[in-house]
Order: sequence, then structure tokens, then C-alpha cells
Amino acid sequence: MKESRLMLVQYATAVAAVALVTVHLIMQGVIYPYTTAISYNNILSVYSNGWYAIFLEVLLVVVLVHGFNGVRIILNEFRQTKPWTTWVNAGTILAIIVTVAYGTRTVILAVFGGAPA
Amino acid sequence: MAAGEEKAKNKRGIRGWLDPYHYNAERWAYFFQRVTGVAILLYVLGHLGDTSFFVGGPTGTGPNPSAWAFIGSIFENSFGHLILILVVLVLFFHGVNGVRLILAEFGLILRKPSAIEYPYKPKGLGSGQKVLIYVAIAIAVAAAVWAFLVLFEGMG
Repeated sequence: MKESRLMLVQYATAVAAVALVTVHLIMQGVIYPYTTAISYNNILSVYSNGWYAIFLEVLLVVVLVHGFNGVRIILNEFRQTKPWTTWVNAGTILAIIVTVAYGTRTVILAVFGGAPA
Repeated sequence: MAAGEEKAKNKRGIRGWLDPYHYNAERWAYFFQRVTGVAILLYVLGHLGDTSFFVGGPTGTGPNPSAWAFIGSIFENSFGHLILILVVLVLFFHGVNGVRLILAEFGLILRKPSAIEYPYKPKGLGSGQKVLIYVAIAIAVAAAVWAFLVLFEGMG
């Protein structure tokens, strides 16, 4: 993907992240008191709401793409050689895939996982 | 200046960020945008790890109250809450300052171009941008105070 297109991805995910993180923080400290928001039963009920689970998944993808793409931009400014750029870009894609997969696993297990032992 | 010196001058890496010589408000905002961005990413990675304990951690198979209680016993204390307040502080600065950078990138808050004149001091990017930097700082501080009240005073 062209660098100009990747910068647009960075700006689009930034705007999306501002909105999504704001909603996330409101859910954690305004709608519910913080201690209630992080209680096991409340989180279980949150995950049982499919829309909020989808919201968390979108938040996960947006924030991680924005974060790792930002680090990629910083690293590519340090050095402009072809091998460096190739490794940084490949590492960014790998980091996004691994972390999104791990976060998605949490969401899926929270929604569909078995009862506690 | 020799070619090697010129190259070294233009390739200062992270040390270039940390050198405050000739910095103005916009340059500092740029510096903190990057530092806070990396800090937030590190927090997000940690947050991915701690929230995974809701389903028993890396080897879990589903919602697990004892694993969640275990991770809560580690992070839900004054030190953990202090870290969260710092996260809120840098998060709001990064978000609002990031909106400023996007507006600047699309030319919406740039001042009119003018001739470069002696003594070639760095010019600010306009009063609008300076105001937005101060707004970012003010919102970040207000959000951190709100986080303090939620975490330590039980508000919310």
C-alpha cells in the first residue's frame, strides 16, 4: 500500500479511536461507578450483549492498527533503507495480526466460552 | 561542513527528539505526541494481557472469576490507579493534539505563507494551533482530575 494511503489509514483510525475510546471510558467511569464496571458479573453481562462485544472488537482493531502503524512511521523515519523498511513493515503486520488475534480470542471466549470450572 | 558531518547532523534519531535546542511549542507538541503514542501502545498491550485474565489468561477457556480476581488483586490498588490516571492524562493529550495534527495536515488551521526573513527564527504555526495545544493540555489535565475522582473518590 502506498505511504500516502497508509497515512490516511492512520488519520481515519485516529478519528475512530477518539470516538471509540471516549465511549469506552464513559462506560468504565461515568455510566457505572468504576468498581461496578470492572466487577466480574458486570463484565459478563457486558460481553453477553453482542453489540458491546462487537464494539470492543472494533475498538481492539482500530487502536492496534493505529498504534502499530504509528510505531512503523516512527521507525521508518529513523532509517530509509530498503531492507529496514521491508522488515519494519513486515514486523508491523505481524504485530497487528498477533495482538488482534490474542484480543479477539479474549472476546470470543468471553462471549462463547464454557462455564467457569 | 563535510558531507559526513552534514549527514550526521541530519540523522540524529531519538537524540534529535530529546534535544530541546530551537524547540518551540509545536515542536514540543510533536515530541510529546510521539512519546505519548508509544506509551499508550505499551499500555494497550498490557491491557490486552490483563483483560485476557477474564477468560483465564493465555491458557484459559472461558469466563473465570478466580483468574479475574487474581489479576484484580495485582492491579487494583493505589499504584495501579496512579498508572491509570497517567494513562488518561497522556491519552487525552494524544487524542486532542492528534486532532490538531490532522486539521493541520489537511491545511485547515495553517497560517498564510510568508517570506522567510532574517534572523530566520523558527515561526510558529499560527495562533489557532497554539490555542489547540493549550486546549489539549487543559483537557488532559481535566480528564486526569476526573480519573482521580473516579478511582480514588468513588465518583462516576
